[in-house]
Amino acid sequence: MQVLKPLIAVGISVVVSLFVVNRGETVNQLGAPEKVLQGTITVSAASSLSDSFAEIAKVFHREYPKVKVRFNFGSSSSLVAQIKSGAPSDVIASADLLSIETLIKSGEVARTSYPKILAHNQMAIAVKPGNPLKIKTVSDLKKAKFLSLCGSTVPCGQYGATVLKLARLNLDESKITRAVDAKSALNAVSVGDADAAIVYLTDVLSAKKLVTLVKIPKAFNVEAVYGVALLGKSSNRDAAAAFIDYLLSVKGQRLLQSFGFIKI
Amino acid sequence: MKKRRPISRPPLIIFVGAIFGVIYIFLPLVGLLRKISFISLLSQLSDGPTLSALRLSLVTSVAATLLALILGLPLAWVLARVSFRGSYLVRAFVMLPMVLPPVVGGVALLAAYGKSSGLVGALLFDSFGVQLTFSPIGVVIAEAFVALPFLVMAVEGGLRAIDSRYEELASTMGANEITKFYRVTLRLLRPSLIAGIAVAWARALGEFGATITFAGNIQGRTQTTPLAVYLLLESDPQAAYSLSFVLLIVCVLVLISMRDRWLGSKR
Repeated sequence: MQVLKPLIAVGISVVVSLFVVNRGETVNQLGAPEKVLQGTITVSAASSLSDSFAEIAKVFHREYPKVKVRFNFGSSSSLVAQIKSGAPSDVIASADLLSIETLIKSGEVARTSYPKILAHNQMAIAVKPGNPLKIKTVSDLKKAKFLSLCGSTVPCGQYGATVLKLARLNLDESKITRAVDAKSALNAVSVGDADAAIVYLTDVLSAKKLVTLVKIPKAFNVEAVYGVALLGKSSNRDAAAAFIDYLLSVKGQRLLQSFGFIKI
Repeated sequence: MKKRRPISRPPLIIFVGAIFGVIYIFLPLVGLLRKISFISLLSQLSDGPTLSALRLSLVTSVAATLLALILGLPLAWVLARVSFRGSYLVRAFVMLPMVLPPVVGGVALLAAYGKSSGLVGALLFDSFGVQLTFSPIGVVIAEAFVALPFLVMAVEGGLRAIDSRYEELASTMGANEITKFYRVTLRLLRPSLIAGIAVAWARALGEFGATITFAGNIQGRTQTTPLAVYLLLESDPQAAYSLSFVLLIVCVLVLISMRDRWLGSKR
């Protein structure tokens, strides 16, 4: 019985919330002549956007209280794979434009006006607090016993590979641990035993208390271009488009910049 | 073995439910089989990284099963035979890795055996220079962590089912504790022991979350087959399907070999 109680509670709350949502819609359809944005949208976003998007969703919710934003975070390439295999999603925000190009090719993107450029990001090195190995630049990464990178098919993994290539640093694969996305690549340093990681600057900035930032000089750095697009199978295009507009608005951009993203 | 009373005619609703249950499990497997190109199966499996992932998986899962056996056998014996206060608490803790999200298990392992902040791990590294993370031994530790409860559960159940009169008889005939355990208990225990070893091994073989969190994902060093499958899904889906197929076949073989001992024979 004790096990059943929470189950029953969850069941009841699900039923009640379904009822409330339904009622809200009918009232609006009758009462408001101009369209009030409402309903739920699902935003599939690169894991490096998780902190900033959580914040933006809060502010967005204040402007559109009837729209509920749900997030699905992961590596951009896994998001593409999910959407291609039919995962319900209204918006994609990826850490590169290539991922969205792939979706355009397979006809998943709503209009030709997409992708829109969302923000720019850079790569940075994260090391253990206090930088015990005294890693000052990219070539110092050879001092690291274990380096954490993203999987080689994920955008942040490709950017990381470019950084190493530009610095002409050839590291043995037996020193490189591959994470599934940008956030977990950083976790290998903050929580795990990796000595360093090449991840997005924004991710290092938001984990300031757990890792130390080592900047990558411009000559070895890449500019990561984030894109956003409305998906063709969206069941709530108006709300989804409003969210994208909000991301690109002055307010949205300012919020992104407060997380370390670079102005578009 | 418990005797079962056969029911000749099950109620229709139960029958329908059972059929849906079978379909639910079976459909994904059929789907996977459809994706496999059997012609290129061998060439995909003999690819460098894939082959090394298979080899590493085999070695680490066997080692993890051994570790689980060494730790789990005495543990199961104590849980089944010794009555002490709080034994249910010990059992609950031992079973924890079974229900814990594996990634959480990996984080917990880091907190214990990690080089930089682990309770024991920091000590190991500072005094002996031993680093368990990012090493094949780390993989074994992660796999054994999740496999241990399965072994303990099977063996404890087996020990409870043994008729203690055989052991008492051995005692009256002058056998000491060790001989008694070795000659009588272990023999009677064999079916559940083998079953426990088999599921523990299958679980170790399929481990993902704790492994990638604790031991990382280094090609040829800590990248086991499930980890390789996950990464290959994006770069080379065909190879990922082939590897999944191998894991599937191995697990099916384990279960089939267990059919008399574990899956409930009609004895």
